[in-house]
Amino acid sequence: MENISAGEVSREERYVLSMEHITKVYGNGFIANKDITFRVRKGEIHGLVGENGAGKTTLMKVLFGLEVPEEGQVFVDGEAVAIHNPQEALKFGIGLVHQHFMLVESMTVAENMVLGIEPVRGLSFDLKKAVRLTDKISEDYHLPIQATAKVKDLSVGYKQRVELLKMLLRGVKILLLDEPTAVLTPQETKELFVQLKKLKSLGFTIVFISHKLNEIKEICDNITVLRRGRVVNTCAAAEVDEREISRMMVGRDVALAMDKKKAVPKDEILRIEGVSHVNKFGAKVLNHVSFCVRRGEIVGVAGVEGNGQAELAEMICGLLPVQDGDILVKGKSIKGQSIKEIRNQKVSFIHEDRMVFGVSKNQTVAENVISDRFDKPGYYKGPFLTNKKIRRETKELIGEFTIACTGMDAEVKTLSGGNIQKVVAAREYSSAPDLLIASQITRGIDVGATELVRKKLIALRDHLDTGVLLFSADLNEILTVSDSIIVLFGGEIAAYFPDAQAVDEMVLGEYMLGLKKMAPEEMREVYR
Amino acid sequence: MKGLGNKSVQTAVDIERRYDFYRTVLSILIAFFITIILIFSISSVPLKDLFSFLVGPWQSLYRISNIIEKVIPLLFTGAAVCLMFKGGQPNLAVESAFYIGALAGTAVATVQGIPPAIHFLLCAAAGAAAGAVVCGIPAYLGVRFHVMVLVSSMMMNYIVMLTGQYLLQYHMVDPSLGHVASYEYAPSARLPFLFPGTKIHFGLVIGILVIVFTSILMFKTKLGYRARTIGENVSFAKYSGIKVGGTAILIQLMGGAMAGLGGTCETLGINNRFAYGGLTSHGWDGIMLAVIAGNDPKKIPLAALFLAYIRTGADILNRSSSMPTEVVKIIQAIVIALICAKGILSKREYKAIIKNAKADEA
Repeated sequence: MENISAGEVSREERYVLSMEHITKVYGNGFIANKDITFRVRKGEIHGLVGENGAGKTTLMKVLFGLEVPEEGQVFVDGEAVAIHNPQEALKFGIGLVHQHFMLVESMTVAENMVLGIEPVRGLSFDLKKAVRLTDKISEDYHLPIQATAKVKDLSVGYKQRVELLKMLLRGVKILLLDEPTAVLTPQETKELFVQLKKLKSLGFTIVFISHKLNEIKEICDNITVLRRGRVVNTCAAAEVDEREISRMMVGRDVALAMDKKKAVPKDEILRIEGVSHVNKFGAKVLNHVSFCVRRGEIVGVAGVEGNGQAELAEMICGLLPVQDGDILVKGKSIKGQSIKEIRNQKVSFIHEDRMVFGVSKNQTVAENVISDRFDKPGYYKGPFLTNKKIRRETKELIGEFTIACTGMDAEVKTLSGGNIQKVVAAREYSSAPDLLIASQITRGIDVGATELVRKKLIALRDHLDTGVLLFSADLNEILTVSDSIIVLFGGEIAAYFPDAQAVDEMVLGEYMLGLKKMAPEEMREVYR
Repeated sequence: MKGLGNKSVQTAVDIERRYDFYRTVLSILIAFFITIILIFSISSVPLKDLFSFLVGPWQSLYRISNIIEKVIPLLFTGAAVCLMFKGGQPNLAVESAFYIGALAGTAVATVQGIPPAIHFLLCAAAGAAAGAVVCGIPAYLGVRFHVMVLVSSMMMNYIVMLTGQYLLQYHMVDPSLGHVASYEYAPSARLPFLFPGTKIHFGLVIGILVIVFTSILMFKTKLGYRARTIGENVSFAKYSGIKVGGTAILIQLMGGAMAGLGGTCETLGINNRFAYGGLTSHGWDGIMLAVIAGNDPKKIPLAALFLAYIRTGADILNRSSSMPTEVVKIIQAIVIALICAKGILSKREYKAIIKNAKADEA
């Protein structure tokens, strides 16, 4: 396991951070970390790599004092330390930048920067000093930011920069970045890497969590690969190629590309006509969006999150009212229709918020599978549910979707994230939809489940001529699964690509960031 | 992914269930222990008092029948609360629904000249309908105007109780009596006693039927599925196309009807006139029992039996000893509070889960 070949690091140099034999078991019996030993040298960028659910985030939470391990010891600068909460972690110079930003959107950058360590004058908060502090730290590290801007007006990349600066302001020397690129466009990722390399040259130590192989190769000096809560290997990044890393992560070879025939679009099934939406805060999140989806094709909607995708999806489902414009399913407006009425036209939805909308976690797998059909013929007799049919069907679906559970009576909360999503997919796919609105279908789930959920989606298109509107923050998913692509930016359609095969990530990124926008003439086809 | 992690997760659930049982047993033991200490520190004849508290309730047929009598109304309110709480509707108007059920039943029961069985059925219908209305109003306000059911149903209790007292005093009172009570019930409306020499009345049978009905309703029917789903996760229910408002109102109407029916049965079973001077606490007891029973109506009878046993023991203690009533009430409260405590043994439970998970891993 000792691997000292990484360039200038000498054997004498001590580890700035080492975690020895860490074991963390969660209250539901899930072993997230099992005897993990993780060591980081001063001034390196160390990649912590693994699938979702491999235990990366848990390990970082242990380090940041958010979780207490059952076994193991953490050393900082060679000294054994006990970290019980984030304040202590910060004291030891360890800072965590969460995957989901911990910022108060309605406040300014400066106010967010000093949260918890507010400068005061007399009894009142000293905003001017907060701004000065922000400006100084931002100059010191060449990470420009406008201290007086409201956080909600910043792009995702800048929000992340605020998180970074927050840590630097607190004197952090070891930066833990939990999947920092998950929310970034390719351009923003590039810029982040420049910043990180700069910080590294200033002597900072960085733990970089990711499951994106190319990024790890690009930025990391050493990597530690986790699989199912254990360390598989620690080695220099230069010594392994992407294929080897992926094999270590998954434990087998994975097909990185999707096998997919060309789409044969049929008649139109969904038409969005000049739809606008003003949210409850009065912000216009969708502005006159028009496009259509045909049966037998998968239309991908790319875009940085928060550019109107969620609202659009919820409107089509009937969870949000159509304010302006119209949405037509099979030529009929859904205005004023209940969710049930929309579903009855063979429309299915996969909501992006799995645990809130997708499942009822305290109910059983069977109860979760029938929520959309328990009142359809065959599923009930008089007032009673017909147990036999429900159980037979659930059993079939558990088999078909390879849902790992102890049985159909297992409560959904006892399943892993990937299997929970399979429950959602099993329900929504098996209703044989004519139209499927699918949002973030593989977010945060393991490779195996991702593969299955995507493959079955394509099978729906091929066998049932289902028209699919696919919302995803994962560009790779958009590019491999979709037949055509729409890019949403600022609530408007910024680009339309009739052939997904002809696009690449960089091009999509430019439209997603609003650097470029197609003229209406270029996009005529989007709204036939 | 081959279910390895999942297997241990499932056993974790088994451990949780087992510990739920341990918890109940242990909290009862602790409660009794505290009771013993209390009795020993206050009573001059502690052993005798302890005996009358613990064994007293079982000492005569009369006392045993006393326990059963106390159980009967709790079956109705307990079942009603299970249904509404499981459906995510914290409607506290069960309390006044029980009261108004008794009053509405009384209004019909004081009418003379209706054939026996039919007379009771009419009373029951009136009681159930009145109860349904009382729980239905906060339910409707909640769905239609987003008024918090918890608050509006609480207010409903006052409105109903004071209206009921007004009706009793000015419109239903029997002026020939020296105290405030209604006219006497027609014998045709009264529920028959099941066992001669006891006050165990036919309401016990109706109560058990209500428990069975509620249990089937909650776990075997479409409505029950809808109710449980909106209770567990209302966003999921909405997204699945389940009509949330209609279901919420319906189960609260049904819960109110059960509580109202309970009120009718109670008063027509053991009284010959309506003489409640205010709310009876049967609704609150129902809430307590539902908490102890984890909103499972099947467990209500046992929980009700336990509560009635403690109460009977406390009554005996109250009558036969020098112990002040307050102490008796404190004992009751301790026992009940402990049973509802979820934190007992939680560390041990956590350790058991971890140990199990590790053993599984190895």
